[in-house]
Amino acid sequence: MEMVTSPKKIRRVHPKKFALWTAIVSMLMLFSAFTSAYIVRKAASNWLSFPIVDEFFYSTGVILSSSVILHVAYKAFVAKNYALYRLLLTVGLGLGVLFVALQYMGWLTLNSDTYGIFISTNQSSSFFVLLVGTHALHVIGGITALMISWIYALKGSTKEWTPKGQLRLELTFTYWHFVDILWLYLLLFLWIQQ
Amino acid sequence: MADINIVEKELVHGGHHDDHGHGDHEHHGDKYQSSFIDRYIFSQDHKTIGKQFLITGMLWAIIGAGMSIIFRLQLGFPDADMAWLQPLLGGWINIDPLTGLGEIDADFYYALVTMHGTILVFFVLTAGLSGTFSNLLIPLQIGARDMASPMMNMLSYWFFFLAGAILFISLFLNTGPFSGGWTGYPPLSALPQASDGSKAGATLWLLSLVFFVVSVLLGGINYISTILNMRTKGMSMFRMPLTIWAFLITAVLGLLSFPVLASGFFMLTFDRVLGTSFFLNEIFIAGEALTTRVGGSAILYQHLFWFLGHPEVYIIILPAMGLVSEVLSVHARKPIFGYKAMVFSILAIGVLSFLVWAHHMYMSGMNPFIANIFVLFTLIIAVPSAVKVFNWIATIWGGNLRLNSASLFSVGFVSMFISGGLTGIFLGNAAIDLQQHDTYFVVAHFHVVMGVAAFFGMFSGIYHWFPRMYGRFMNETLGKIHFWGTMIGAYAIFGPMHYLGMAGVPRRYYRFDKFQAFSEFTGMNEFMTIAAILTFLVQLLFVINFFYSIYRGRKQTEMNPWGATTLEWTAPINAGHGNWEGDIPEVHRWPYDLGRHGREFIMQTEPLAEGEVDGGHD
Amino acid sequence: MGFTIGALCVILLAVFIVQIGKARELASIVRNDPAEQDEINKFQAGLGIIFMVSFLIVCVVSFIYYIPTTLGWGPNIAASLHGPEVDYLFNLTLFFTSIVFVLTHIALFGFVWKYKGKQGKLGLYWAHNETLEMVWMIIPSVVMTFLVVGGLQAWNNIMLDLPEDAVSVTLPEADGEYLEIEATGSQFLWFLRYPGRDGKIGTKYFTQIKKGVNPLGQTWTDEKNMDDFMTTEIVLPVGKPVRVRITARDVLHNFYIRDMRVKTDAVPGMPTYFNFTPTVTTDSMRRRLSKEPEWQVEDRNDDTKKRWEMFNYELACAELCGNGHYSMRNVVKIVSEEEYLDWLDEQEGGELEEVVADSASGSIEYTYMPGSVNSQYFSKVYNTAQDPLKGKTANLEKLVENKLRVNVYMNKMKDMRNEAEMGSVNYVRAEKAMNELKSLQKTARITTDIASSDKALAAAKAIADDVKMTLPVPVTVPQIDTIVSDTAK
Repeated sequence: MEMVTSPKKIRRVHPKKFALWTAIVSMLMLFSAFTSAYIVRKAASNWLSFPIVDEFFYSTGVILSSSVILHVAYKAFVAKNYALYRLLLTVGLGLGVLFVALQYMGWLTLNSDTYGIFISTNQSSSFFVLLVGTHALHVIGGITALMISWIYALKGSTKEWTPKGQLRLELTFTYWHFVDILWLYLLLFLWIQQ
Repeated sequence: MADINIVEKELVHGGHHDDHGHGDHEHHGDKYQSSFIDRYIFSQDHKTIGKQFLITGMLWAIIGAGMSIIFRLQLGFPDADMAWLQPLLGGWINIDPLTGLGEIDADFYYALVTMHGTILVFFVLTAGLSGTFSNLLIPLQIGARDMASPMMNMLSYWFFFLAGAILFISLFLNTGPFSGGWTGYPPLSALPQASDGSKAGATLWLLSLVFFVVSVLLGGINYISTILNMRTKGMSMFRMPLTIWAFLITAVLGLLSFPVLASGFFMLTFDRVLGTSFFLNEIFIAGEALTTRVGGSAILYQHLFWFLGHPEVYIIILPAMGLVSEVLSVHARKPIFGYKAMVFSILAIGVLSFLVWAHHMYMSGMNPFIANIFVLFTLIIAVPSAVKVFNWIATIWGGNLRLNSASLFSVGFVSMFISGGLTGIFLGNAAIDLQQHDTYFVVAHFHVVMGVAAFFGMFSGIYHWFPRMYGRFMNETLGKIHFWGTMIGAYAIFGPMHYLGMAGVPRRYYRFDKFQAFSEFTGMNEFMTIAAILTFLVQLLFVINFFYSIYRGRKQTEMNPWGATTLEWTAPINAGHGNWEGDIPEVHRWPYDLGRHGREFIMQTEPLAEGEVDGGHD
Repeated sequence: MGFTIGALCVILLAVFIVQIGKARELASIVRNDPAEQDEINKFQAGLGIIFMVSFLIVCVVSFIYYIPTTLGWGPNIAASLHGPEVDYLFNLTLFFTSIVFVLTHIALFGFVWKYKGKQGKLGLYWAHNETLEMVWMIIPSVVMTFLVVGGLQAWNNIMLDLPEDAVSVTLPEADGEYLEIEATGSQFLWFLRYPGRDGKIGTKYFTQIKKGVNPLGQTWTDEKNMDDFMTTEIVLPVGKPVRVRITARDVLHNFYIRDMRVKTDAVPGMPTYFNFTPTVTTDSMRRRLSKEPEWQVEDRNDDTKKRWEMFNYELACAELCGNGHYSMRNVVKIVSEEEYLDWLDEQEGGELEEVVADSASGSIEYTYMPGSVNSQYFSKVYNTAQDPLKGKTANLEKLVENKLRVNVYMNKMKDMRNEAEMGSVNYVRAEKAMNELKSLQKTARITTDIASSDKALAAAKAIADDVKMTLPVPVTVPQIDTIVSDTAK
C-alpha cells in the first residue's frame, strides 16, 4: 500500500472550469434520463412518428454559427480586440435568441393543420416537447449568461477586461458550446428515431 | 482556450500554495463580508453556510418530527378524542356534531405522512446532513480557504431555503399539502381529481423539490471541484480523512442521480399541467374516462424516482459514516481500522448504489425477470457495508476510548446501522420482499437506518465539531442524557415495529380496524406512540443545549481540544473567512497517526521523521 | 387544559435538567480533575454493557412474545403452495442475521467496555490486517450468495407466469388447468370478477365504464363476458391453481392477501398477475386457530362468538391510493370443492319456476326463466337496445337450465333421504342415487359443452326415474317426475 511520500503540487484544471464540467455532467444525466425513457417507451406500442420540420434544421444552423462566432469573439477578446469582440458577441447573442425563436416556430408549424401535432397527441410528441423544451430552457440560461457579458461589453467597463472577466467568458462560452453540442445530439437522436 | 496560469494567479480563491501574493493583501476580514447581510444572510463563507444548513435542517427536523407525533397519535389512539387539537390544526380535525368528539381527518393524516417523509429525507437528512458537514469540513480538512465557488455555495443554501419556503406555504393551502406519499407515485400524484392532496399541494411539492434539486446540485458541484482541485500541498487523495471521501462520493452520487429525479418531476409536472400522459394509461376516475390520457406507464415514474431514491439513501448514510469514522478514530486514539478498505467500500457502495434501484419495485408489476439482477446487486452491496461495520468495531478494539456525547453517538450509530442494515438483507431478497413489501417491516428498516443511524451520525458530528463551529463546547451532561434517551427511545419506537411488519400489517394505513388481521396491535401501537413522544421530547434537550451553548457554552481554549490530527483543528478558534491567518498548512502524513511512536496523536502537518513511513505501517 | 399543564410540566422538567447540566459542567471545570474523564468513561461504558445485555434480552423475549402473530410461526402458516417457501427464506435469513446481530453487539459494547479510556494509556497503532479483512469479507459474501441463490430460485418459481398452453376453466381438474379471476382496484373498493362457467374472463376497456351499469367497462360484444359475474367475496376451491389478473381503474393499488403470501401492484392500463394455489381451507385454519389461547377469547365484534370462529382470510390494498386506502377489504374464503361448486351455483343463478301442471296427478313442471343468469351482462344489458349478443345466449342458458334441472333431481333425492327413516329402503336408495348424481351434478355445473350437459341431464333423469320405479312403497314425498316443458320464448 503506497502513499504519496513527497508532497506534490496539486494543480489540475481550474476549479471553476472543473465545476462547470461537473455541472455539465449533471445536465447530461437529465437528458440521459429523458432519452432512456424515450427509447424504452418507443419500443412499446402506439408510437406516432412525425417529421422534424425544417425550422429545426434552420435553428441547428443558427446555433452552430452562433457557437463559431462566439468562439471567434473569445479569440478577439484574448487578443484584446475589444471592438471586434463586442460586435461578435452581439451577433452571437442575437443568433442564440433566434435559435429559441426558430424552435418555437418549428413547434407552431407542427401544431398547424398540415401536421396537427400537439403536446398530448401522442407519447412521441410529448417526449419531443420534453426534450426540445428542456433544452430550450437550458439555452435560455445560456442566453442569460451571454447577456451579462454583453451588458458589460456594451458598458465598455474596464472591469471586464481582466483575467476574471476572461474566465467568466470562457465559462459562458464553454456552456454555450455544450448546449450546442447537446442540441446536435438531440436532433440526431430524434431524427434517427423517426 | 487561453492562458490559464495568468487567470489562476490572480484569483482570490484557489488554494494555490505557492501563491506568495496572498500573504500581503489577504486580510481575511475581507471585502465582501462587511455588512450584517453579507456576513450572516448572504454569506459566502463556507463555515457560515454550513451553519445555515444546520440550523435550517434542525428547524425542519422539529417540524417533521412534530408531524410524526400527530400521526402517531392517530395510530396509537385512533378512537381518542382529538378535539383538543383543533385550536392548532383547525379544519384538519373533524368534530362530530353530535358527540363533540374530534378525529384527525384522513386526508390530513396522509398529508402529514407525506410531508414527514419529504421533509426528513430531503431537507433534514440530505441538506441538513451533507449540506452542513460538507460545507463546514471540506475546505478546512483539505486545506483550502473556501469552496471553489463561494457564490454558488451561497446560492445552494438559498435555493434550499426557497424550496423550504414553498413547501411550508403548501402546508396552509385550503386543499392541503401533497398527500401521495414522499414517493409521489402517479397516477395518484398526477391527477388532481384523485385526492385533495393532489391538487395545488402537489404542484407546490414538485416546485419545492425542483428547487431543492438545484440546491443539491449546486452544492455537489462545489464539493467535487473543491476536493479534486483545491487540496493543499501534500494532501494526496489517500491522505484525505474519511469524511472527505464520504462527502466526495456523496456529491458524485447526488450529481448523477438527482437530475434523474428532476426528469421524473418534469414529466410528472407535464402530466399535471400540460395534458401529457407519460405516466397515465386507461384511467377512469371521478366518474370520467380520461380518453385522451393513454399510452403512458406508471412504472416509468417509479424507475426514474428510484434511480435517485436508492442512491439518495446512500447520500444520506455515507456522510454519517464518514463522520463516525472520524469521531471514533479520534476518541479511540487509534487509526481507523482498514483505511483503504474503508475508502474502497465507500467507492463500492457508491457504484453499486446505482445498480440496485429496482429492489424498491419488486412488487410493482415490472417483469419479474428483472428482479434477478437487482437481488444480486442488492445483496452484494451488503458486503462493503459489513466491512465498514467490522472496521469500526476493530477501531474500538485496542483503543483508549474517550466516551463523550460525540463518541457515544458514534457507537450508537454502529449499533443502529447493524440493526437496520441486517433487516435490509431480508428486503433485498425479492421472494421475502413479496411478503414484506409495503408493510411495517420496511418502515422499521428505513427508520432504523435513516431515521436513527443517520441522525446519530449527525449528532455525533455536531457534538464533535461544535467547537469548530462556535468556539465553544456543548454541555456534556445534557449530551449524554440526549444520547441514552434517544438510544433507548429509538429502539423502543422501531423495535416493535418490526413485529408489526412480520405480522403483515401494511404501511400508510390511517386506521387498522377495518381488518381483523391488522387490528390486534393496539397495545403495541400505543407503546410506540408514547415512546415517540418521549423520544421527541428528549430531542428538545438537544435543541436547547445547541442554542444555549452557542452563546454560553464552555469556551474553547485550545485549538485542538480533542487531540485530533486533521487540518480543521489547525485553524484558529472562531476563524474568519479564509480559515488560516497565514499560509495554508502543508500536509506530510495521513490523518490517522494516533498512538504512534508512543505519542497520542501526530498532526498531519508534522513532517515525517527520518526513515518514517507514511500511512499505517509499523 | 390538560395539554397546557402537561406542556408546562415538560418545560419545567427541561429547565430543571438544563440547570443540572450547567451545574455539573461548572463543577467539572472548577474541579479540573484530569482523572474525571476516566470515571466518566467507566460509567458510560458500564451503561453500555447494561444496555447491551438488556437490549439483547428484550430482543429475544419480545420475539418469543410475538410468535403468535408472526407469519410463518405459531399458527400462522402460509395458506398457499408457495407460501411456506417465502416463510422459509425469511426464517433462514433471520437465522443468519440474528447470529450477526448478537455477535456484533456483544463485540461493540464489549470492546467499548474493555477499551474504555484510561489516563496514560495509549491506543494501539494497528491500522489493518489483511487476513482478518479477507475473512470478514469472504464470510458475508458466502452467506449472501447462499441467500441470493435460494431467494432467486424461489422468486423465479413463484413469479413465473403459467405456460402458454395452460387453460383457464371454472374448476381446474387436469394438469395445466387453472382458475382465472380478476381483481380491479379502484378508489376505494375492489371489483372482483369471476369468469363464469366458460372459465374465461371477458375483455374490458376503460372508455366503456359506466357507473352502476358497467363498472368495469366490459366489452359486451365479447361473448366471454356473458357469464362473468361479480362478487364481494373471493371464494376459491382448495388445492386448485388460481391466477389472479390484477388491474386498476384509477390509480395504483396492490392486491394483497396476507395469509396466502400474495401481493402484486395493480397498475391502470397494465394488467399484472399472481399465480397461487390455496392449500388451507378457512374452516381448517379456524380449527387450527381454535387451539391457540389468543384465539379462544371472545370476538371483538360479536361476543357470542369466539375469535377463531370469526377468522377470515382478507384481501387488502397495499399501495397508497388516496384517503380510503386503509379500507379496501374483502373476505377471501377457501373452501372444499363441494362448497365451491355450491357457491358457483348460487353466483351463477338462473331460475326454474315451479309449476304444478296437472293438479290431479300433482306432477310438477319447471319452466326455465330466460335471462335469469346472474351476471353483469344478464342483469344490465340482456335484451336491451344495447345488447349486441342478441340471440347468442341460448347455449349458456341451456347449460344453466340443465344444471338447475339436475339440481332439482339431487334436491329431491336429498329430501327423500331426509324424510325417510335412517336405514330404511327409501333412505338407502336415495343415498345411492345421491352418490350417483354427484358427478353428474358436477358436470352439469361446470361443463361448457351442450352435448355433455344434455347427457348428464339425461343420465340424472334416468337415475331419478329408476329410483321412482323401484320403490317398494308408495312415494309420499312430492313427485319426482318433472316434465321438461318447452322453454322456447
